[in-house]
Amino acid sequence: MTAPALPIVVPLTRAGRTSSLRWFLRRNPRILIGGTIVAILLFVAATAPFIAPYDPIKVDVSQALVPPSLTHLLGTDDLGRDVFSRVLWGSRVSLSVGLISVSIGFLLGVSIGLAAGYLGGTFDLIAMRVIDALLSFPALVLAIAITAALGPQIQNAMIAIGIVAVPGYARLTRGQVLSIRAREFIVAARTIGAPPLRIVLRHIFPNVTNALVVQATLATAFAILAEAALSFLGLGPQPPYPSWGQDINYSQRYLANLKWWMSAGPGIAIFLAVFGFNFLGDALRDALDPRLRRSG
Amino acid sequence: MTQYILRRLLLMIPVALLVTIGIFVLVRLAPGDPVLTYAGEDRDPATIAHIREQLGLDQPLPVQYAAWLSRAVTGDLGRSIQTKQRVLEAITERLPVTIELGLTALAISVTIALIVGTLAAVKRNSVLDLLSTSFTLAGVSFPNFYLGLILILVFAYIVPGRIFPPGGFTPFTTDPLENLRRLVLPALTLAAASTAVNLRQMRSSLLEAFSQDYIRTARAKGLGERLVIVRHALKNALIPVVTIIGLQVGAIIEGAFITETIFFIPGIGRLAVQAIPAGDYPVVQGVVIFSAISFMLSTLVVDVLYAVLDPRISYESAKA
Repeated sequence: MTAPALPIVVPLTRAGRTSSLRWFLRRNPRILIGGTIVAILLFVAATAPFIAPYDPIKVDVSQALVPPSLTHLLGTDDLGRDVFSRVLWGSRVSLSVGLISVSIGFLLGVSIGLAAGYLGGTFDLIAMRVIDALLSFPALVLAIAITAALGPQIQNAMIAIGIVAVPGYARLTRGQVLSIRAREFIVAARTIGAPPLRIVLRHIFPNVTNALVVQATLATAFAILAEAALSFLGLGPQPPYPSWGQDINYSQRYLANLKWWMSAGPGIAIFLAVFGFNFLGDALRDALDPRLRRSG
Repeated sequence: MTQYILRRLLLMIPVALLVTIGIFVLVRLAPGDPVLTYAGEDRDPATIAHIREQLGLDQPLPVQYAAWLSRAVTGDLGRSIQTKQRVLEAITERLPVTIELGLTALAISVTIALIVGTLAAVKRNSVLDLLSTSFTLAGVSFPNFYLGLILILVFAYIVPGRIFPPGGFTPFTTDPLENLRRLVLPALTLAAASTAVNLRQMRSSLLEAFSQDYIRTARAKGLGERLVIVRHALKNALIPVVTIIGLQVGAIIEGAFITETIFFIPGIGRLAVQAIPAGDYPVVQGVVIFSAISFMLSTLVVDVLYAVLDPRISYESAKA
């Protein structure tokens, strides 16, 4: 049993903000670890064209299937392409699919959740049945079905993963709105004649952001894993563009020849990226949203 | 209880209808004309028009949907465009394979989670606890298709004697031993992520149970520690675990799509994955609907089991 946290008053100066951030991170070191992994990933994705030692799609058959060495840190594939450079470039695909699909899911899900929770009635009933229908699918199966229907392209993978993420946001937001809707400050806002949209955006939304930040971080982890799985099944970006899942799929044909390095780079990259977001999400949940905290 | 189950089944109908509409529309959005796939080499406009009419694809979408649904409820999901086999038959033919793989994975996952999760909770902060916590963190983040490849690499190619083959399937009725030998790697691959989730849930719900008054009472009246754990803590801690295991059914279905593809296992996941690039929409549609309905039913079973296991939960009183 931990002692109840005391309210802390921090002056709103820049120095005060920095020190309170430092205090927050010291109290929650896991956020620092997860945040660092995510920050490194973002940095790699942003600077891949500058830090990648080779062109990721340049074929050089004289360098085919070279094991990891100082010249090729993660070796080369059967076409002589540098695996390390492909892993660095692949982070752009994974992160952009992760961030864009999470934004799609966020926008749609939060809007539905806010409207359903605040309006109630028929809209709530219909919206929640649609959400139930989306939840009736195992998430990845739905993503596979949507991508297969729209065609194997990176944009379609983003849309598919975004749609799969909608129910999580919608249910979370709706639940929070229902618990906040009857509180005094909302009643007060309504009494003074604030329009519904203003109440939802100015008074309700800020109160659900903590839970949504946690949800978005964990959803990014899922999105990266789902994108990798879709690419692995050939439903993501198409060759020769580097993508972690697709590169692992491609490496399968050289597994019997023990060319393990072709899949090691992308495999570990997926793991680190998903792990980073999961770790950060769990840490944020413990720090920001004690109600959602899992025991143990 | 019967009333509750009936009500839940009734509530499933509108959701299931929405699911079918969703899938129907999705599949019709797919690029490529299925009629051309169906016609094969024959590109004679008259033949194509005839096939289109025969498949009912010349009708408006709502009419096509109504016709398709009325056939689907009687189990007629159409025929595969590639093989001309009935979709339901193609699914039921391959279903035992997927079920065997899924149940084996579930058995591995639950056994490990129960044993390791209990030990980790009992010996909190021990080396075992630390290892299991690290495993749960890694397990949920590790891509199962890469894990599958590592297992193949190690056990089929690196370890001498090829302990386990890299893929393929032998029916249990043909050769039970070979069937199990070929099932080990795919089942482990499929089980990894759900083991991590179950392990985490097992550990945390046992820890919660340990902090309850009834455990203190059991200890205070002089019961042996083993009896306290098995008879009191474990029994209560299992309730949330059942829910989580039920939800793993979904993870196992989606995992089967990937695992069956990697290990060349002729289950329904591989059936769908092979049907996608071929534009075989009745098959994709059939498998996706089948997955959704199985997932919905397993969620229902979990809710009912929840009430059976925990007498404090009564769905009758929760009606209001």
